[in-house]
Amino acid sequence: MAAAALREQLNALLSSMYASGLVDDQFQQLQMLQDDGGTPGFVAEVVTLFCDDADRIISELAALLEQPVVDFDKVDAYVHQLKGSSASVGAQKVKFTCMQFRELCQHKNRDGCIMALTLVRNEFYDLRNKFQTMLQVVPYALKGPFDFQVFTGIVKMEHMLLNLKRIACPCFLLTFV
Amino acid sequence: MEAAAAAGGVEVEEGVTRVLLVDDSPVDRRVAQLLLSSDSCAGSFHVIAVDSAKKAMEFLGLKDGKEQAIDMVLTDYCMPEMTGYDLLKAVKALNPLKPIPVVVMSSENEPQRISRCLNAGAEDFIVKPLQSKDVQRLRNCSTVRPNNVAKRKPLVLQPSAAGAALPSGRRANFAGVAMPFLSVQVLHSSSVEVSQYVPLLLKLVVMVYAVLCVGELLHRWSSGSGCSLALWCA
Repeated sequence: MAAAALREQLNALLSSMYASGLVDDQFQQLQMLQDDGGTPGFVAEVVTLFCDDADRIISELAALLEQPVVDFDKVDAYVHQLKGSSASVGAQKVKFTCMQFRELCQHKNRDGCIMALTLVRNEFYDLRNKFQTMLQVVPYALKGPFDFQVFTGIVKMEHMLLNLKRIACPCFLLTFV
Repeated sequence: MEAAAAAGGVEVEEGVTRVLLVDDSPVDRRVAQLLLSSDSCAGSFHVIAVDSAKKAMEFLGLKDGKEQAIDMVLTDYCMPEMTGYDLLKAVKALNPLKPIPVVVMSSENEPQRISRCLNAGAEDFIVKPLQSKDVQRLRNCSTVRPNNVAKRKPLVLQPSAAGAALPSGRRANFAGVAMPFLSVQVLHSSSVEVSQYVPLLLKLVVMVYAVLCVGELLHRWSSGSGCSLALWCA
């Protein structure tokens, strides 16, 4: 019973992460790689690596932006690296905020970069909290059958069908006019 | 494998492509490593990972002119100090008659960058993030053929030369993360591939239905417009 409740919680968490755009298809790719590739713990490993790497990069960026003269080339290089690693794990929101950050770097806008860093940090912390919850819940939720591929497939299908319904319903009604 | 490692090297089976993976991002490096060494690749690749082009050059023996023990180089484009493009040129210059295939990766999908690398001799250019569908492209670029490769002596890789290398056969232990993620039922890969097309098919069906509905409406209005107007005017 407890495992079922935790699975429900995990389902809801993953669903909200996809629905809010926190993670994208790349995250699902990693899951599939874990399931099909026979590499248990792969996703946890990559997620943990990403969190550690992103933490380090954000600290470096904060230090660089505090300097009296900001080296925007270095800032850009770090943001580029964070953008790349967030894309590799499917951290969509972090990736998008990094893209905006890079534009501000190219304009050498210090205040803009500081605001962008705050945004990146907030998005990253939000994602990290959810990843940490996921990693804590999963071992206990898996005392029973759970197919992640099927689950994420169903979540995406639900969103797709919702959009299709919005298109199809008006057309369907019009045929009976 | 432990004995060979203890003796200072790793043996590689015949028909396995030895890939030198060069990427300064630890996340990207790990994802690529795991992707190429997963069961879905059926053991086609043996990956040696380094975190800089400089270390890649040392490993390839480009400084000392020693024999290379690599079948393919997979390198990131943007790296500090020495870029993947510079590494590409160096690798191609090493042995112009029998160059090592080089595949360049980048998170930027810039046509100029892509053509620059291809003109410099890169076998392919992959836009990150690396995915399962890119594995076949890497196989195509490799000169190693699984069943028809010439016999070569077993490769013994020196761990010291690799520096930050992580052989693919070994699973790294990350402090504080020893828990499994999801023990799930594995779907058959063909059913997963089919399921990717289902949303597209549904979209297509709805679009066709919408077009038919609009066509029907236009037909009704054009054929019944006279009657409806008469009713309104009466």
